[in-house]
Amino acid sequence: MSAFSLPAMAGESLFGFVKGAETLPEGAGELYQKVISRSDKGTGEYEAINWETELEYGITDRFSMSGSFKMLSLDTSGLIIDGYLPKEEDFSFKPMGLEAAATYMFLSPAKDNFGLSGQISFDYSWLDTHSGQEKDTYSLELDAIAQKFFLEGQLVWGANFGVETTYADRKEIDGLPADFDWPTDPEMEIELKFGTGLSYRFAPNWFVSLEAYYETEFETEVGQERWSVFAGPSLHYGAAKWWATLSWLPQMKGGGEQYEGQEDTDLHLIEKTEEELRLTVALNF
Amino acid sequence: MRDPLAGLWFVPLSVISVSAYCADYLTVSQAQKAIFGEQAIFLESPLELSNDQRKAIKKAAGTRQRQQTQAAWQVMGADGKLVGWFFVDDVIGKHEYISYALGVSVAGEILGMEIMSYRESHGDEVREASWREKFVGKHLGDPFKLDEDVPNISGATLSCRNLLDGAKRLLVIYDLYLQQ
Repeated sequence: MSAFSLPAMAGESLFGFVKGAETLPEGAGELYQKVISRSDKGTGEYEAINWETELEYGITDRFSMSGSFKMLSLDTSGLIIDGYLPKEEDFSFKPMGLEAAATYMFLSPAKDNFGLSGQISFDYSWLDTHSGQEKDTYSLELDAIAQKFFLEGQLVWGANFGVETTYADRKEIDGLPADFDWPTDPEMEIELKFGTGLSYRFAPNWFVSLEAYYETEFETEVGQERWSVFAGPSLHYGAAKWWATLSWLPQMKGGGEQYEGQEDTDLHLIEKTEEELRLTVALNF
Repeated sequence: MRDPLAGLWFVPLSVISVSAYCADYLTVSQAQKAIFGEQAIFLESPLELSNDQRKAIKKAAGTRQRQQTQAAWQVMGADGKLVGWFFVDDVIGKHEYISYALGVSVAGEILGMEIMSYRESHGDEVREASWREKFVGKHLGDPFKLDEDVPNISGATLSCRNLLDGAKRLLVIYDLYLQQ
């Protein structure tokens, strides 16, 4: 059960999940507010909102660093999943974690025809993003970020590949039924992520995009614990001093572990949801 | 093949009169004087380009000629002799398009570039004379590569690249269709 990741930004993002390869220029900064709504596990009510405020700064023209603060809102009822969702919860804006990231641009998409960046990020969270229960999670993620411009920049392709390793340690919960599985031994997991998308500028300042991303997670006991494919459109507006991207990413296909009584068996609904809505608003300075 | 969507957001320059340019920094008249001086005489001579001609421009320049009508002026000296051509063009910036003017000599060399509008988050340096002067004297024999012909401006790489490619494209137009 790794941390739900909100990818650290790498400059202006045309997509909801896929990151761009361009870093901020030296001395430039960008403040991002990201909101991700994850809803519907097929049974009962489940609505989680991840809030992340991130500040990125260009150290050099090719190297930027960022730090972020994360909060969680969760409203879940009518669904208990052994080992994953032990209790109903209803809270808002609970601080849940911190993240630091560094991005280096090896090739510029505008200058070198093909853009390539590498990103490393470290995340610490003290709340489980799925259940809202106390859990210390340490994650280290490495990403390769590719980007290419076509039609002088009117059409943009992006692709990301990432590997995340996670160490997690759950806290005990009082009052659980004796047969409820809530392991408190530390666990290690590896998650692979791949996303790609195309974005088209249909009017000055406006981009429409289509993207898909695949995530899968492995752990020692069960091997491949889960996999899922999300895909959907984004609408992006970019101006001189700010930009915003709104993305709708429903889960198209998924597999791996399922909860008892899960009706839609073509999706992974223990750690993922049927719907994701992502909004990022950024100010640059 | 013509981009069917290009027309949705690039207004053909032929329908815009000189006085109607919404230049943030320079009007057409100001750009003309900045490049050719006060005494020059400008004769508006827009170029109507066929699809075959636009394909030929793309082949030679490496970038699309989006507009069917290219805004252009013949430039005469005080003695009435042709001294060059003046172009107004748009290229794609990071968010909006950048309007610029280019002066080309009868020998096919760039005489000057002026930025008429620029509305991007980074890269205001494209307006500085020290950057634009790097274009002066460029001709089709030059490589037209960022950091070789003109320096890149971080945070505005796409804008710099497209301005450089745009200048090359206008030189190609001059070479193919205007050179006497």
